[in-house]
Amino acid sequence: MPPPPDPSAVFLNIPYDEEFQSLYIAYIVGLIQLGLAPRLASEIVGGDRRLDKIFKLIQSCRYSIHDLSHVEVSVSPAAVPRFNMPLELGMTITWQNLHPSRHSWFVWESEPHRIQRSASDLNGTDANIHNGTPEGVLSELLNAFRRDRIPSVPRMLEVYHFVEGNLTAILHRNGTHNPYSRSVFMELCWLSKMLTDLFRYTNPAV
Amino acid sequence: MPKSVYITARRPTLEEMEKNWRISKARKKELQVLVNEFKAQLSRREQAPMALIGPEKRRKRASAA
Repeated sequence: MPPPPDPSAVFLNIPYDEEFQSLYIAYIVGLIQLGLAPRLASEIVGGDRRLDKIFKLIQSCRYSIHDLSHVEVSVSPAAVPRFNMPLELGMTITWQNLHPSRHSWFVWESEPHRIQRSASDLNGTDANIHNGTPEGVLSELLNAFRRDRIPSVPRMLEVYHFVEGNLTAILHRNGTHNPYSRSVFMELCWLSKMLTDLFRYTNPAV
Repeated sequence: MPKSVYITARRPTLEEMEKNWRISKARKKELQVLVNEFKAQLSRREQAPMALIGPEKRRKRASAA
């Protein structure tokens, strides 16, 4: 049996697409502002079988978000369906069924009712709909994770815009174009946390 | 699965969260520049309402304080 999960950790099962970049940053900023810790499969470094490591990462998280808004067939280089996200969702559902008190998962979509067409076995699962916008992600995060002293959406957006506006510089400094790379993800998290704490220090009421 | 949960766990500190993020001290220093920039942005915004008030009222407010 693995050790108990980190009560603040949220496994993000998202597409690593250029078009998803702004929503990815919104997830990071939003979760950190809610006092939660985003975790990403790209944090995993070489070694054993990747799937085993991803499963261990899911087991170490109390929550997971599975964003199925970009499961369509990829455009290039060759059109193939994308199975990684449904695969990781399947692993998570099994884990949660075996140990209900250790994990809660959420399915996110950009359009209402589309989940019933893309994964009809999930019928009965109420998806969180973000409408494909950063504002939608932030507002839905507030709906999904309720707690005391929550930030407002405008405040979350202010941090989001600042982090998003500095992404190019962070990518450049890390010598990559990939915002999902391990080093960039960690720096986005660190920056978001520092900005969030700054808000808390300047206004203790939030 | 529920569509929402109530979080009871306390918010992790920067030190606790940093255990998962391996960032060098030198890089943190560089990122701190961005933090300071955001701090300045917040501070400018807080002062902005004062700038909208005319000089007469500003003087009165300052002397009252």
